Amino acid sequence: MRLILLLCCTAALLPAAPSLSILPKEVTLATPESRQQLLAEALLDGGVHSDWTRHAAWSSSNPAIAAVSLSGLVTPKADGEATITARHNNLSASVTVRVRNAAAPFTWSFKNHVMPVLTKTGCNQGACHGALAGKNGFKLTLRGYDPELDYDALTRQSASRRVNLAEPARSLLLLKPTFAIPHMGGLRFKTDTREYRVLAEWIAAGAPPPAEKDPEVTGLEVYPPASILAPNATQQLIVRARYSDGRSEDVTNWVKFSSANEGVATVDDSGLVKLTGHGESAITLWYASKVLYARVTVPFINQTPVISDFRPRNFIDNLASAKWQSLNLTPSKVADDSTFLRRAYLDAAGILPTAGEVEAFLADPAPDKRAKVIDQLLNRDEYADYWAYKFSDLLLVSSRKLRTPAMWAFYNWIRDSVQANKPWDQFARDIFTGAGSTRQNGALNYFVLHKDTIEMAENVTQAFLGQRLTCARCHNHPMEKWTQRQYYQFANLFARVGIKNGSTAADNVVFAKNSGDINHPRLLRPLSPTPLDGQPMPLDSTADRRVHFANWLTKDNDYFTRNIVNRVWANFLGRGIVHPYDDVRATNPASNEELFAAVAADFVKHGYDLKHLMRTIMNSATYQLSSESNATNQADNVFYSKYIIKRLPAEVLLDAMSQVTGVPTAFGGYPAGTRALQLPDVRVQSQFLTSFGRPERILCDAAERSSDPSISQALHVINGDTLNKKLADPQGNIALLLKLGLSEKKVLEHLYLTAYSRPPRPDETAQLNKLLADAKESRQEGLEDLVWSLLTSKEFLFNY
Amino acid sequence: MFRLDADLPVEFCDGTRRRDFLHAGVLSTLGLGLSQFAGLKAHGAVDPKKDVNCILLMLVGGPSQLDTWDMKPNAPIEIRGPYKPIKTNVPGIEISENFPRMAKHADKFSIVRSMYHTAAAVHDTGHQMMQTGRLFQGGVEHPHFGCVVGKLRGPKGDVPPNILLPRPIGATGGNMPHGHAAGYLGKAFDPFILNADPSDPNFRVPDMLPPDYLSANRVDRRKNWREAIDKSVSKFETSQDARLLDSSFQQAYTLMSSAKARAAFELHREPEAVREKYGLNRFGQSCLLARRLVEAGVRFVTINMFETVFDEITWDIHGSKPFSPISCYKDLVGPMFDMAYSSLLEDLSQRGLLANTMVIGTGEFGRTPKVNPAGGRDHWPQCWSILAGGGPLKGGTVIGASDEIGAMPKDRPTTPAEVAATIYKGLGIDLETELPGAQGRPIPVVDRGTEPIKKLFA
Repeated sequence: MRLILLLCCTAALLPAAPSLSILPKEVTLATPESRQQLLAEALLDGGVHSDWTRHAAWSSSNPAIAAVSLSGLVTPKADGEATITARHNNLSASVTVRVRNAAAPFTWSFKNHVMPVLTKTGCNQGACHGALAGKNGFKLTLRGYDPELDYDALTRQSASRRVNLAEPARSLLLLKPTFAIPHMGGLRFKTDTREYRVLAEWIAAGAPPPAEKDPEVTGLEVYPPASILAPNATQQLIVRARYSDGRSEDVTNWVKFSSANEGVATVDDSGLVKLTGHGESAITLWYASKVLYARVTVPFINQTPVISDFRPRNFIDNLASAKWQSLNLTPSKVADDSTFLRRAYLDAAGILPTAGEVEAFLADPAPDKRAKVIDQLLNRDEYADYWAYKFSDLLLVSSRKLRTPAMWAFYNWIRDSVQANKPWDQFARDIFTGAGSTRQNGALNYFVLHKDTIEMAENVTQAFLGQRLTCARCHNHPMEKWTQRQYYQFANLFARVGIKNGSTAADNVVFAKNSGDINHPRLLRPLSPTPLDGQPMPLDSTADRRVHFANWLTKDNDYFTRNIVNRVWANFLGRGIVHPYDDVRATNPASNEELFAAVAADFVKHGYDLKHLMRTIMNSATYQLSSESNATNQADNVFYSKYIIKRLPAEVLLDAMSQVTGVPTAFGGYPAGTRALQLPDVRVQSQFLTSFGRPERILCDAAERSSDPSISQALHVINGDTLNKKLADPQGNIALLLKLGLSEKKVLEHLYLTAYSRPPRPDETAQLNKLLADAKESRQEGLEDLVWSLLTSKEFLFNY
Repeated sequence: MFRLDADLPVEFCDGTRRRDFLHAGVLSTLGLGLSQFAGLKAHGAVDPKKDVNCILLMLVGGPSQLDTWDMKPNAPIEIRGPYKPIKTNVPGIEISENFPRMAKHADKFSIVRSMYHTAAAVHDTGHQMMQTGRLFQGGVEHPHFGCVVGKLRGPKGDVPPNILLPRPIGATGGNMPHGHAAGYLGKAFDPFILNADPSDPNFRVPDMLPPDYLSANRVDRRKNWREAIDKSVSKFETSQDARLLDSSFQQAYTLMSSAKARAAFELHREPEAVREKYGLNRFGQSCLLARRLVEAGVRFVTINMFETVFDEITWDIHGSKPFSPISCYKDLVGPMFDMAYSSLLEDLSQRGLLANTMVIGTGEFGRTPKVNPAGGRDHWPQCWSILAGGGPLKGGTVIGASDEIGAMPKDRPTTPAEVAATIYKGLGIDLETELPGAQGRPIPVVDRGTEPIKKLFA
């Protein structure tokens, strides 16, 4: 036992001598007002970090150059270099600090100092002066998205009472927030704070306006970017902004922090993180419309170590298991053949294996039979049906806005693309660069669905980029990097799509127009069409804007790749590496970033080949883990140390019931035998599909599809016609089994193989035989009731 | 044996039989006079203090305070808008001319005119706060009031404790949860969602009874066999979704086996005149259904007046498409609310149910004091009005006040958290009660120190 424990620990943790380091490792104080808070970060036994900043003794080799406070705050004194040292528990660490321009003249910048003060102290938040109508006659732009307007509001409106250049101390900008005179918003800061000093000195300097030459924030850095911490520990975060003039500044004071998972960690306004539970959380940072996150991890505590038989099979496994080790999780066992087979069929093709397929697979001695069955599955017609259905969800195929032939043309194009395994980048390019008849080129119906430029911009970003832009329609996204300006630059890419009537009522002709723009609602003029963080296109260019968009979308575009990889991953593993799976924004971090990045890179390297991606996932040992937890991973629902149990989607479940009973569902207007997953439309009447959470395909949103159990689902399978009629059908499998006159044992074996992809255990056979014997009066009814019970049990309703 | 028509009276702690209680609930159809009802009440069949229910009317879109219940007739035209105030049956209280029926029942409700919230001015945040008392942050989804009641009190009789009519709020622009669910309490405490339109001529809760070709005997057998099959497989024991499936089957069987529970949903049992009085539309019939459900033992009913604010005429009067024009308060939304709300109050009161049923009506925010260029009003969480009455809450008073243009609370600023505290106190739930949060972290029903609106309590 002791040996096992030891082995386990060596695998999981890295015992090393404790060490201490200072973060950040390089510090340059470039202005007389520059400050830098340092962190003394210890790395203890077992790879756990500890924040010693407030316990360490700080000293400077030359306090005349750079002084350091008791808490580790460095201030510049004179140009030169000094070494700052932190000491604690017989350990020490040093960092060199360079001081420049210490004696140079300095003025606070409106954009880079005054605005951050207004933002951090809440002046321009939505509930205060950032409201659309301002507050009490004073209006700022929400979280400072327009410095020019804000400057104007502060210095020119209200008879210059807000900023009083003659008597700076009498400026309302200072009197109100310090509560020297009544202020609805209460006390925001006191007169002895840095906030006060920034505003007061800026006014005293003549309130210089924002200028083109002001350095822009180009990015953020956070320290420590990732740390493994003890339960109940605290950790200070430090954030630095990089500017276009090459300098970096400590902006921790002005950053807005929030925790993605308060069950693991909370964070206060100063960036102090408190760990509250086990697991991992991201702490997201927002500063000047730039976002970043830091990761904090608290390993699970395991009393009883478990030996793992986990054998990595590809890079997914190596990266998944690195995460398990850091969290002290042991993966579950590999799933048995029956479980694997059922899971693979359901996840890749939305069907159950037949009894024959189960028997053949179980009997196959080949060591690579799982890989072989995966290859076969990816080439089945049902594979194409299943993924065509999923992509129809994504692209909102339905007869709600499309006439029936147009809907079919769109659907058929999707299905053909899936069947041909069209690379995902080409799939997207085909949609956005095509022109002509929507009947001949079904993909073009995406434009018919989205005649409104705004709707197009928002659904495209959701479907192909996993970004939610909606907030930025009216103002800068409050917790995201997207600005209102970017929104209208982006939307303008779709302002020149022409649609005219084609040869028939259901046919349209899509073409690129060479005029037309969408105005920015406040500037009242169009902005250069620009993809998100991409290159702008001249406003007067007559080139097809859609092509510019498609080129950007499909070439070296992380959002584009991560979006589809995450969607496919979630289909197989039950949860996106980023969750929810359609929300891959910058502030919603992956549960395993290294894994996510590697899968995405592999997908690009293999030419955006969806089948390659699926094959890689399905062949990983991680995908093939059992859903049964061990002593270490019961609480894990995020890191894939066991397979996540999921209810079958509405359409898959209905088809599975049809398959086991041998009675297809009749869908009005569709040929007999059409499976639910073959429907191109979600407006086909089906109470079963509606109550089990079929999406309406109105909004591109993962939440449209629901898999939560409900009373109405239970009522429908108990009393509704869908399942009951299948059971009683004289053409169905139950009737057939009766006609064949098979023994009870054979019947049970067949039912278990078809419904559960496994033979019944002897105790199950015995139990069910007994139950059936109680229903002697009618064997038919007895069997119906038995099949009902099998098809409403958890083993049937769930994929495990 | 599983009996579909089992109708055994359930005995209450105080000795009244459930049967009697329900009969008391439908007294008007039995021709029982009000004085006789009062007699029943004196005997303890209805104890308003012990068992208070709540009907929460979510006025999705956000009614304009200035065009509904906080008129500013003396403000300039661009503030006061197109409507005039009218007197109510309570001297000194005036409301908009769009609500003439409501005006006759002002003694049954109070108006809080100083609501505000400080979150982003989007619909979703207000929905969260007005249904849970809190804004969702850091991945924590707080539970709806009704889910908390369901968790703490459980069902009363055979009906679910917490029902949502007719459907959850859909997209309102923010892509955030709206707060109708149980959040960290777990899906087991999610509301029973009707998911049907009670004004549909063929309205019924689907599949409440087995089809003709299935005998009660077989339904019973299937239930037992399913349980036996499930029991022989252990791998689902730790899955929350799987446990939830069990509980939804259980609740379905309970509903099926109670004739009274089923009857509560059968709106066609109501006289045509009553149905018309509430308004033959989704909201009106939902209010009528809510009354029936409360009578049958449902503790909390939430009614979403609308499901979205896009391409539907709602309280969301931006004045331009796809939103609604201000005139809809006169033509459609106003009368719809006026009929349903006044009928609900009248009906509850005549049946003696108002004494133990709170009725709260609230939007997610108010609207801009100044009429915008499109002739509408935009989002304004800084100030709005809500309606509260029934149960232990006083009627006929005005709590708080807004400034002269309805832009800011002037007197007793009131937050959604305080409304939450008021609802919990009204329901008789101790405000110190702690709920199990994520990883077992206890979370009080309202943040410590949050006070209910004391003046609302008689």
